[in-house]
Amino acid sequence: MSIAIRVKFIRGEEAKYVSHLELIRVFERAVRRAGLPIAYTLGFNPHPRMVFGLPLAVGVTSEAEYADFELAEEMRPEDFMDRLNRQLPAGLKIVEAFVRRGKSNIMADIKGAAYSVVVCAGDMPESVDILKLTEVFLARPKIMAEKETKSGVKEIDIKPMIKKMSVDESFSMGDSEIAGACGNGKMFRFDIETSAGSEANLKPELLFASLGDFAGFRFKVLKVHRTGLFVANDNRD
Amino acid sequence: MPVRISDEILGQVEKPSRYVGNEWNMVRKDPGSVKARFAFCFPDVYEIGMSHLGMKILYHLLNEREDVYCERVFAPWVDMESIMRREGIPLFAMETRDPVRDFDIVGFTLQYEMSYTNVVNMLDLAGIPIFSRDRGESDPFVCVGGPCAYNIEPLAEIVDFAVMGEAEEVINEVMDIYIKWKEEKAPRREFLHRIATVEGVYVPSFYSVSYTPEGTVSEIRPVSPEYPGRIRKRIIKDLDNAYFPEKIIVPYAGIVHDRVMLEIFRGCSHGCRFCQAGIIYRPVRERTVDGLIERARNLIRNTGYEEISLTSLSTSDYSQLGDLTGRLLEEMEPMKVSLSLPSLRIDSFSLDLMQKAQKVRKSGLTFAPEAGTQRLRDVINKGVNEEDLLKSCSLAFNGGWSNVKLYFMLGLPTETLDDVEGIADLAAKVVAEYKKVPREKRGKGLNVTVSTSCFVPKPFTPFQWEAQDTMDMLEMKQKHLKEKIRGIRQVSYNWHDSRLSFLEAVIARGDRRLGQVIVRAWEKGCKFDGWGDQFKFDAWMEAFDECGIDPAFYANRKRSFDEVLPWDHIDVGVSKKFLKRECEKAYRGELTVDCRLNCTGCGAGVFEGGICVEHRNKG
Ligand code: SF4
Repeated sequence: MSIAIRVKFIRGEEAKYVSHLELIRVFERAVRRAGLPIAYTLGFNPHPRMVFGLPLAVGVTSEAEYADFELAEEMRPEDFMDRLNRQLPAGLKIVEAFVRRGKSNIMADIKGAAYSVVVCAGDMPESVDILKLTEVFLARPKIMAEKETKSGVKEIDIKPMIKKMSVDESFSMGDSEIAGACGNGKMFRFDIETSAGSEANLKPELLFASLGDFAGFRFKVLKVHRTGLFVANDNRD
Repeated sequence: MPVRISDEILGQVEKPSRYVGNEWNMVRKDPGSVKARFAFCFPDVYEIGMSHLGMKILYHLLNEREDVYCERVFAPWVDMESIMRREGIPLFAMETRDPVRDFDIVGFTLQYEMSYTNVVNMLDLAGIPIFSRDRGESDPFVCVGGPCAYNIEPLAEIVDFAVMGEAEEVINEVMDIYIKWKEEKAPRREFLHRIATVEGVYVPSFYSVSYTPEGTVSEIRPVSPEYPGRIRKRIIKDLDNAYFPEKIIVPYAGIVHDRVMLEIFRGCSHGCRFCQAGIIYRPVRERTVDGLIERARNLIRNTGYEEISLTSLSTSDYSQLGDLTGRLLEEMEPMKVSLSLPSLRIDSFSLDLMQKAQKVRKSGLTFAPEAGTQRLRDVINKGVNEEDLLKSCSLAFNGGWSNVKLYFMLGLPTETLDDVEGIADLAAKVVAEYKKVPREKRGKGLNVTVSTSCFVPKPFTPFQWEAQDTMDMLEMKQKHLKEKIRGIRQVSYNWHDSRLSFLEAVIARGDRRLGQVIVRAWEKGCKFDGWGDQFKFDAWMEAFDECGIDPAFYANRKRSFDEVLPWDHIDVGVSKKFLKRECEKAYRGELTVDCRLNCTGCGAGVFEGGICVEHRNKG
């Protein structure tokens, strides 16, 4: 009996420079070291049956990544998690594993993502209030952004893709290890939620580029950390 | 204190994973708990260095010791280097990010002459004085090993000591002496004095060189009779029982050879006369099938790699190849681990094997006839004849392959334009062979690629006395061949930069006077010379000019047999007498048999190992 296991995993500082393709290989090798009964594709060049959720950009950390594994034998998800965790390199750790019931894989299920983003506003005038600015930015009927596509730069309305955007007032730049990266400028941390997945996808960088265009000064993204992924249907028991 | 590499820096460089470490199986130790720290440096980028088997072996071997922590160091790519210099970040080790200058011993492996400017650059980035005479009591010792260490004279004033041959045993002896020396707090020179008598260790500063009025070497001798007059390389006699790491590092980022490398034997017995590896790694020593299977199993279990590659100088020579591959394929099938078989001689056995091992992936087949005519192939003792080659091609075409690469060298001793044209003729015959195969059997779209490199005479080969063709001559030959090949559809031609081969020839047979040129070239911005886009030929030529040294003296001059060569005090086992005899046979076009069949008396028998002993036991 084959079975599908969905896992939620963390990608920490040590593993944040691993690209999406490299990450797949890291898991593939960890699965082989762990001796897990992964199912393989048929054909002359068999590949393990694994699907990873939304690719994470290089340099971004996350506490909410998802992947699906198909196994050739029945196995308790907790055992799968334990054995795989013992073989994962520093910076990668599975925190949850469960049997996936539905048919659709993780890629198709993802609808949104939440991020914590630290930005640097180097040229922000003293008079500007960041809370007010964000409020006005969001209140407009349309929020335009210049998105680079294969056919060139396109103006798009990103408003429907912004689910939430708020300034984290508890953030103080002193305790951040990246404080030096902002020079004399001001640093802010935002909590945002955006559309993500194959249908609509808004990256934090584009959102802050748009905010910068609106404000008239640049918001440089210093750190992105994914705090959640939202699935339309998480296919749990 | 570890250096800090901020996210901002890593965000600006190409391939940041080159600098972050933390890979699976990376060795972690508390540097405070060991007696000596060793920085193993590879003078090229991470992807290249991590692909090197020798580095893996020595890294894990040293770390087996509780009293030593060995860490890895690679050359930062130019983008990272410029940031490091701007921010004042010194060269650091991957594991702890501690500055390299705080280590006890800094060891470079030298695989290629054109990496020497990187050695200088890395020392400078580390803040370690470039010349050994300038290093003080608190500086690390700088050592080198690897194939280029056999003629280390161009770096003689830079390195403190060199290890000749297979370092697996020597390095442990050196570390023992080092730790004792450190505990005694003895002076710097005393350590060098103690290791200078360890077999396989060469301390260049304890040898003086004098020159003839013509500029050749007249004598190399130890400054004191305590030191050996000749330094003999070391080998591992029993490879099966020699140390071999089974928990090798698995990188995150794609490296060049990202797979398990299973070394099946060392050495080569063919005796191609241009080939340095074929001489310096003698004698041939095989590992047993049982030992290899066991190793492969453990390596896969510890790494999770999806591919095993058999490594050696010539896979087909392994005496138990059928048995080994059969058992490996069987064992690895359930784990979906594939087997790759580089440098196979193409025949029906190997084609069948490739079909089994690599399934349908009909990647290109490579042949290395090296020369275009039988006459010249006999001169270089390349035991390949045209009939065999065409038969192999025909077999391959019948098996569905349609991608063939042919490797040749231009500028081999005695070469004429007829030999050059012979390359084009041979390529045409390969095409004709394809056409003979019925359409329904052969693969679609024949693609024959002819590649020529330029012959570089190397020390410890029968051609060590030869003049290299001038760059003009090589370029003329390349042009000529291009003309000839242009007429044949389905054949494409590419060639190596003759300027790079020229420099390689200068340094490979260089003496101590070249050290200043290498440093001068580095001062002019030369580094990563082997990377086409970084190579600054003109800067090199200026450096020669400013140092008053004529590079042609080293590259294009034919030496007489009785000239003292800069590496004559190094003993690789194979005798100068044998090399001379081989050179004379080359001129007569006489072949020498593969010494697996019959000992040809090369001298490597002094090591009492491998096939030399087997021959003797057979009587
Ligand atoms: S001594 Fe004889 S068998 Fe040994 S490597 Fe030399 S030629 Fe070969």
